[in-house]
Amino acid sequence: MRENHLKILQYVTGIGLFFLVGGYHLLLMHLSGGDPESWSSVARRAASAGWLTLYIFILIFGFYHGLHGVRGLILELSLPNRAIKVLNWTIVLGGLAVFGYAIYIPVHAF
Amino acid sequence: MEKITFKVQRYDPDKDKKPHIQVFTIPFKHGMTVLDGLIYIKENVDNTLSFRSSCRMGICGSCGMLINNLPMLACHTPIEELKKDTITVKSLPNFPIVRDLVADLSLLFEKHKSIKPYIMPQDMAEADKPTAEFLQAQGQLEEFVQFAYCVKCGLCMAACPTMATDRHFLGPQPLAQAYRYSADRRDGGAKERFRETDTPHGIWLCHLAGACSEACPKGVDPALAMQLLKRAIISDSLRLRKKPVPPSMAPPQAEKKPKVAVPEFTIKRPGTKS
Repeated sequence: MRENHLKILQYVTGIGLFFLVGGYHLLLMHLSGGDPESWSSVARRAASAGWLTLYIFILIFGFYHGLHGVRGLILELSLPNRAIKVLNWTIVLGGLAVFGYAIYIPVHAF
Repeated sequence: MEKITFKVQRYDPDKDKKPHIQVFTIPFKHGMTVLDGLIYIKENVDNTLSFRSSCRMGICGSCGMLINNLPMLACHTPIEELKKDTITVKSLPNFPIVRDLVADLSLLFEKHKSIKPYIMPQDMAEADKPTAEFLQAQGQLEEFVQFAYCVKCGLCMAACPTMATDRHFLGPQPLAQAYRYSADRRDGGAKERFRETDTPHGIWLCHLAGACSEACPKGVDPALAMQLLKRAIISDSLRLRKKPVPPSMAPPQAEKKPKVAVPEFTIKRPGTKS
């Protein structure tokens, strides 16, 4: 995958996060009704397929955007090509492992 | 102001472990540039001082130095404009020091060469045996002419904060030139240059600090060129980039008017053909 493809995804996920997190807050605080922090509200959201989809999208977009940003920061350390390959695989595999764990919680609750 | 103090970085790789500062106080004359001051020191005070200069008028780009902590051309910097009676002069940062104020710019030239800084013709047959002149409209020229004023002085590379952390980063000068040639309608090598610059140490490490554009003595604005290059690469990747229009060609040779014949001698000399 070329760098510009990764960068395009970075822009897309950045814009996507703005709307997803914005929409999440709007739904949670203003449109869902009742106390969003109460046990019944939390349990209702955990059992909702719509909320689960929203969580998964926020996690996908957030993980990609954050990990690509971290990769960009580390790349500025004058790394040789071999180290860049190691960095790429570490971020992909490490990111997938943490993403898998993060996704397990809402899926398990559902 | 009758006297001016120069704090000059000295470094002899055979003797010194690291650069140190030497102070010179010299007479000041109205209109004097930093380069004039350095030349005065070399001619009258210490002839071992090493610095690079040539044209003395901001054209060759040889005398790039760090003057009062800003990268500038010494010949293009009047002392009066600095509004200080002490001037600190060091070699350009982000480049190895050869001696005193002489920086080794070979890294700049290597990176510059890597982006193929020349017109790569779309039609090789036409390039080998040109049949007519390439025509370029004023508007087409204006798309890149600003970036063609680069004198390769290296000030943008010295000012760039990313260059300071990543020595593999291509840097503002080569990246701006990559855009300059790719935007030229006569060129057909944009895709090759995009491949060279679309790398982990390429165009995407530019964070638009803008220090390069501020340092440029020729008003090239490398930061703008780099943003335009980013846009061109993304547009090309999404297949939104307009295909370069083949340059309009002048009428073919056969339709041109014949050359005016060389006039015959009016005075016939013996031995000349009539």
